[in-house]
Amino acid sequence: MIVRRFGVRHSRQLLALSRRSPISSRFLSTEAPITTQAEATVESTNPLHEVVQATQNPKSLAQKQFRKEEQQRNKFNKLGSSVTESHDPEGILRNPPRPSDITLELLLAAGTHLGHSTSRWNPQNSRYIFGIREGVHIISLDVTAAYLRRAAKVVEEVAARGGIILFAGTRKGQKRSIVRAAELAGGYHIFERWIPGSLTNGQQILGHCETKVVNALDEELPEFKADLADRSSIKPDLVVCLNPLENVVLLHECGLNNVPTIGIIDTDADPTRVTYPIPANDDSLRGTNLIAGILGRAGEAGQKRRLEMAREGRTLYKPITATELRLDPFTGQTAQTAGGEQAKEQSAPQTKRE
Amino acid sequence: MGKINLTALRVRQTALNQYASGKIKKLPQWVDVVGEIPPAEALIRNRTAQHQLVRQRIQTNPEASKPQVVFEVQEKRRKPKKPSRLFKPVELRYEEDQLRQEFFRDHPWELARPRVVLESSGKDFENHDWSRIQQPGKRLDGESVVQRQLWLLNNVPDMTKSAAYDIARREFYKLRLKEDIQRRVAAEEAQATGANFGPTYLEIGMELENQQHEKWKAWARMEAQVMDQRAVSMSGAPELNMDKEAEGPESIALDEGATEQ
Repeated sequence: MIVRRFGVRHSRQLLALSRRSPISSRFLSTEAPITTQAEATVESTNPLHEVVQATQNPKSLAQKQFRKEEQQRNKFNKLGSSVTESHDPEGILRNPPRPSDITLELLLAAGTHLGHSTSRWNPQNSRYIFGIREGVHIISLDVTAAYLRRAAKVVEEVAARGGIILFAGTRKGQKRSIVRAAELAGGYHIFERWIPGSLTNGQQILGHCETKVVNALDEELPEFKADLADRSSIKPDLVVCLNPLENVVLLHECGLNNVPTIGIIDTDADPTRVTYPIPANDDSLRGTNLIAGILGRAGEAGQKRRLEMAREGRTLYKPITATELRLDPFTGQTAQTAGGEQAKEQSAPQTKRE
Repeated sequence: MGKINLTALRVRQTALNQYASGKIKKLPQWVDVVGEIPPAEALIRNRTAQHQLVRQRIQTNPEASKPQVVFEVQEKRRKPKKPSRLFKPVELRYEEDQLRQEFFRDHPWELARPRVVLESSGKDFENHDWSRIQQPGKRLDGESVVQRQLWLLNNVPDMTKSAAYDIARREFYKLRLKEDIQRRVAAEEAQATGANFGPTYLEIGMELENQQHEKWKAWARMEAQVMDQRAVSMSGAPELNMDKEAEGPESIALDEGATEQ
C-alpha cells in the first residue's frame, strides 16, 4: 500500500519534470539546421535560436502547461489596480502639525473628544464637557483647541526665553512621541517612571548627572565646568505631562518647586493639578501623539526664534554673567572676576536615556 | 489649604512673593510668560451646553407656491430640572440615532461586517453627498442607509420616515446584490488568470470530519476485537470465530448485537 501511495504521490511530479528524452533531443539537434540560406544566417546571428526553438515546441504536458501559464501571466499582469495606503499612522510622529494647523477635524480624527464613563467624571471638568453620548462624556473640541493653542504658546515663549522644558509621558506607547517632541523643542524627556524626589531631593538623585554652561548660541563653555561642581541640581522651567493621573508625584513636586506645568486632563483627572490643562483624551495614543507633536513644534518655533535673536546679539532673557556664575553658591563671595562673557546655564538631567 | 490645591495655578504669584521676600534672588524666566498668558480659570462652573433634538422637514402648502422648510424642536419637559442638575452635562441626541437603531434592529447582521472607523483628516464628510447612496471612498454599509434616509427626510417634500426608509433600503439592497455579482465575477476572472483560492471552508470542514471518522473507525475496530476476544475466552472454542474475524469487525459487532438480543 505504501508503495502504491508513493506511486500515486510522485508519479505526477515525475511526469511534471521537464526531461527531454535523449533520442528526441538528438532528433531536434539533427533536424534543426535545414540547409536554406535564411535559416543558416539566423542561426549564426542569434546563438539563442536553438533554445528559443526548443521552448516554442514544448513536448511534455508540463511544458505546455507552463507555457500557457507564462502567456497568461504576461497577458494579464498589467491588469488590476495598485492599492496605496490612505492612512499613515507614523506621519504624526515624523511630521507633527504646527499649532497653526489645529482644526477641530484634526482633533476629532485623533479621538481627543472621547472622555471617560460618566460615572468616573471629575465635576471640576464640567466646563470642558460638551455632552453625554452612550454613557461617555464628550469633551468639547473647541475648548480643547483653545487650551491647546494656549499651551503651545506657553511652550513657545518658554523655549524662546531659553527655559528648560521637560516632556513626561510614562504610559506604554508614548515613548516615541515624547522623544520626538523633546527633540523638536530642544527639551528633555521622561518615558519611564518619574523617580520621586528628582526635584525635591535633586542633589541626591541627580547629583551625579552632568551639567554644562552654554552661551546664547548653545555652544558649550568648558572653562566654567569647575564652577558647577557644588551647585544644586537644575530644575525645569516648564513640565509637559501627557498622563497627569499616573504622575501625581511629579506634579506635586512641580508645585513644591514652583514650576509651571502643562497636562492633558481627561474627564476623570483633576484640572487643578496643572497650571495649563489641555482637556483631551489621554488614553488614545493618537491623541497624545498629536498633542505632544503640536507642543514639540511650538517649542521648535521658540528655539528657532531664540537662536535667531542670539545671532543678532539679543536675548529675551537676562543672561547670567560670568561673575555671577563664579560666585560661591554657599558664601556668595567672589572667587575671581573674569571676562564679560555672558553665559546661560543649562543641564543634562536624568532624561538623557534612550 | 483644605480640599482644593491651587498651587499649580498660582505659580506666578508664588514666584513674585518669593522674590519680594528675598527667598529667590532672581525671577524665573517664565514669570512674564505666565503673566501674559494666564492659566485658565478653574473651578468655575458654567451652565453646560443644552442640546435639543431638532428635525428639519420640507412641507408643501397649497397656498404657498414653494415647499417650505420647517424645523420641529422637541418639546421641553414639563417638569423642570432639579437645580442640582443644572451644571451636569446633557445627553447628546441626533435624529439619526433612531433611524440607526431601527435599521440595525431589522438588519442585525450588518453589524457583523467589517467597518473602517479610522479617519486620517477628519474631513471625509466633505466628500459625501447623500443625494445618492453611494459615496466615493466609503464602503456601502448600514450607515449609508441611515444617512440617505436622513437626507431624504430633510430634503424631499412631505417625506415620511417609513417612505424614506423604504427608498434608502431598496437602493441599498440593489447595490448589495450588484456587489455580490461583482465579487463572483472577480473570483471567476481571477481563476481564469491563474489564481488558486485553495480549498473552500466546506472542503476543509469535510476533511476534518473525515479525519474524526477515521479515528473513530480505528477505535471501533479495537473495541470490537477486545469484545470478540472476551467472548472467545468465555466460550473456549476459538476455531468457531476464525471465519468471523476474516469477515471484518463490523460484521462481528453486528453478530454480537444479535446474540445479545
